[in-house]
Amino acid sequence: MTNGRITGNVPAAPGHFILSIALPATFQEPSFGQFVMVRNLLNGKAMLSRPFSVYGFHRDAHQSALELLCRVAGRETKLLSGLKAGAGVEVLGPLGNGFTIRKDVDRIILAAGGVGVAPLSFFLKERAKYPSKAAVSLFLGAKNGEIASALVKGLSDTCAVHIATDDGSLGFHGPVTEILAAELYSCDFERTRILACGPTPMTRALARLLADKPIDCQVSLEERMACGVGACLGCVVPVRNSHGDAMYKRVCKDGPVFDLRELLWD
Amino acid sequence: MGLRKENGEGLKLDVSIGSLTLKNPVMTASGTFGYGEEYAQFFDLSRLGAVVVKGLSLLPRMGNRPPRIVETPCGMLNAIGLQNVGVETFIDEKLPFLRQFDVKVIANIFGESVEEYQKLSGILSGVDGVHALEVNISCPNVKKGGVVFGTDPEVAALVTRKVAAETDIPVIVKLSPNVTDIALMARAVEEAGADAVSLINTLTGMAIDSESRRPLLANITGGLSGPALKPVALRMVWQVAHAVRIPVIGTGGITSFQDALEFLIAGAAAVQVGTANFVNPLATMEILDGIKDYMERHDIMDIHDVINSLRA
Ligand SMILES: Cc1cc2nc3c(=O)[nH]c(=O)nc-3n(C[C@H](O)[C@H](O)[C@H](O)COP(=O)(O)OP(=O)(O)OC[C@H]3O[C@@H](n4cnc5c(N)ncnc54)[C@H](O)[C@@H]3O)c2cc1C
Ligand SMILES: Cc1cc2nc3c(=O)[nH]c(=O)nc-3n(C[C@H](O)[C@H](O)[C@H](O)COP(=O)(O)O)c2cc1C
Ligand code: FES
Repeated sequence: MTNGRITGNVPAAPGHFILSIALPATFQEPSFGQFVMVRNLLNGKAMLSRPFSVYGFHRDAHQSALELLCRVAGRETKLLSGLKAGAGVEVLGPLGNGFTIRKDVDRIILAAGGVGVAPLSFFLKERAKYPSKAAVSLFLGAKNGEIASALVKGLSDTCAVHIATDDGSLGFHGPVTEILAAELYSCDFERTRILACGPTPMTRALARLLADKPIDCQVSLEERMACGVGACLGCVVPVRNSHGDAMYKRVCKDGPVFDLRELLWD
Repeated sequence: MGLRKENGEGLKLDVSIGSLTLKNPVMTASGTFGYGEEYAQFFDLSRLGAVVVKGLSLLPRMGNRPPRIVETPCGMLNAIGLQNVGVETFIDEKLPFLRQFDVKVIANIFGESVEEYQKLSGILSGVDGVHALEVNISCPNVKKGGVVFGTDPEVAALVTRKVAAETDIPVIVKLSPNVTDIALMARAVEEAGADAVSLINTLTGMAIDSESRRPLLANITGGLSGPALKPVALRMVWQVAHAVRIPVIGTGGITSFQDALEFLIAGAAAVQVGTANFVNPLATMEILDGIKDYMERHDIMDIHDVINSLRA
């Protein structure tokens, strides 16, 4: 557990905000796709921490700065959205296994649903660190144009951005997996990799879309968490192991990033 | 006074659970600390009084479908469904890790029949690095499991007798709070040969999403743990401490050193910390340091002067 201090809390779009947290310089550098558990110290009743993907990270000689892109989903995220600069939070992390970039792909497709764009943005911002010459494009699905624009702000400089919205107010009107499906026609499957993060319906649609295509796809999953470190077995998802048997894996410790083909959908 | 060091050296913190001596009264609660691996990155496990491992069954168990947990006011519900690697894998793959530490390991066991409990006891008895058994007769999650044993004094006594017959290491029976008279249960297992009792396990609870009208746990009901549980746990520990002669181990919502002290004062010989580990991986260490500091402040040399010291 590391003590952090809020240095900024900026509304990004309705129901979305960006938290900046100052941490000691010794805080371990996160890789993209890793997450942190955050606990709000102002609310004595809030007991468990909440998981958030790393959205940005910088370090100088004196401190580290962690950025999170958050959506108000319920009670705790509502409270976090109201935190003012100076407020204290506890941060545990970085946790879990992030995405991996293979050198032998020449296309990277990022597929995001809503705030699922957070870890993928972190990759785009830190791209220079990853030794890959692959062409990168981002496919984002969001509720409406206002939210979509806020979520991809600054990203169109780094890669091609394609947007789909639920209400058609920006980009394609419908699920993001549909524009992604169209894109796949022009892909060399063997040399393409998809990195995805979004709500379960999107992941499920992606699994259906890729079922008959030999494309590598890594997906970051969400489950309710208690410990965040692998001890409580609260955050499990069903997978098929290397022997073909069904078993549960922990999103926090074995994930949050999984090979899409491992996942079992019932 | 002059002999005592700042860091609590010189304080007498060791407590006995049957023939087992713990270097201090702070241990972890089963199911909240895995098999120790995850938390070893945060502190030296040798500093704990004991590690109580995740409940073990004869065969590996998959556990319940997710979602398995949900936060509730000042607590959480879990319906893990006793997922575990099974006793053999525990001995072969998990115990060697724990053996590296100078810490007592308590194996928590559960079965679906008296015979299974008995077999588990036999298998774990004499295994290097297992120092005591904690018998979970109280898990509320598995239909055929815990609840049946833990709510009937005669069945609880039978399980205790069978487990004790198979082993020489101390047998701790973990009681369920989902009973009318916890003291009755405690006396029943004491008479049947339990060396200690630990309490409480989780209280059966439930939570619903009013918008969708669906249960928040796939299992519908789950076990309540965390601070919400503490007053109930404390009352039960106090009652049981007055009803039996064997040591009582207090569990339920302990988050701070003050919480731990409340249990010790109420009569517990030791405490287990569960859900608090999730909130703060260093919870046990902060509680231990807090107890030492308390003893210094109150000029107490021996933890036994705290145990069962409730004033009128
Ligand atoms: C690895 C990981 C990374 C995440 N990254 C981000 C991120 O970068 N930005 C962001 O805004 N959110 C992220 N989430 C989701 C975020 O953790 C939840 O939205 C948050 O915990 C909800 O807390 P709450 O108290 O506001 O909601 P609650 O009142 O607890 O619940 C509100 C709703 O959110 C659902 N929910 C609760 N916990 C989770 C959870 N852990 N994951 C998914 N849904 C949940 C509940 O089922 C319920 O429908 C991530 C989750 C995981 C597991
Ligand atoms: C996620 C979780 C898993 C648990 N698993 C077990 C278990 O396998 N065996 C057992 O006897 N108790 C189990 N318990 C109960 C705890 O050991 C403890 O009795 C209870 O949670 C109350 O303590 P607490 O409020 O400090 O967590 C579990 C509790 C939680 C929260
Ligand atoms: S949150 Fe505890 S195991 Fe993942």
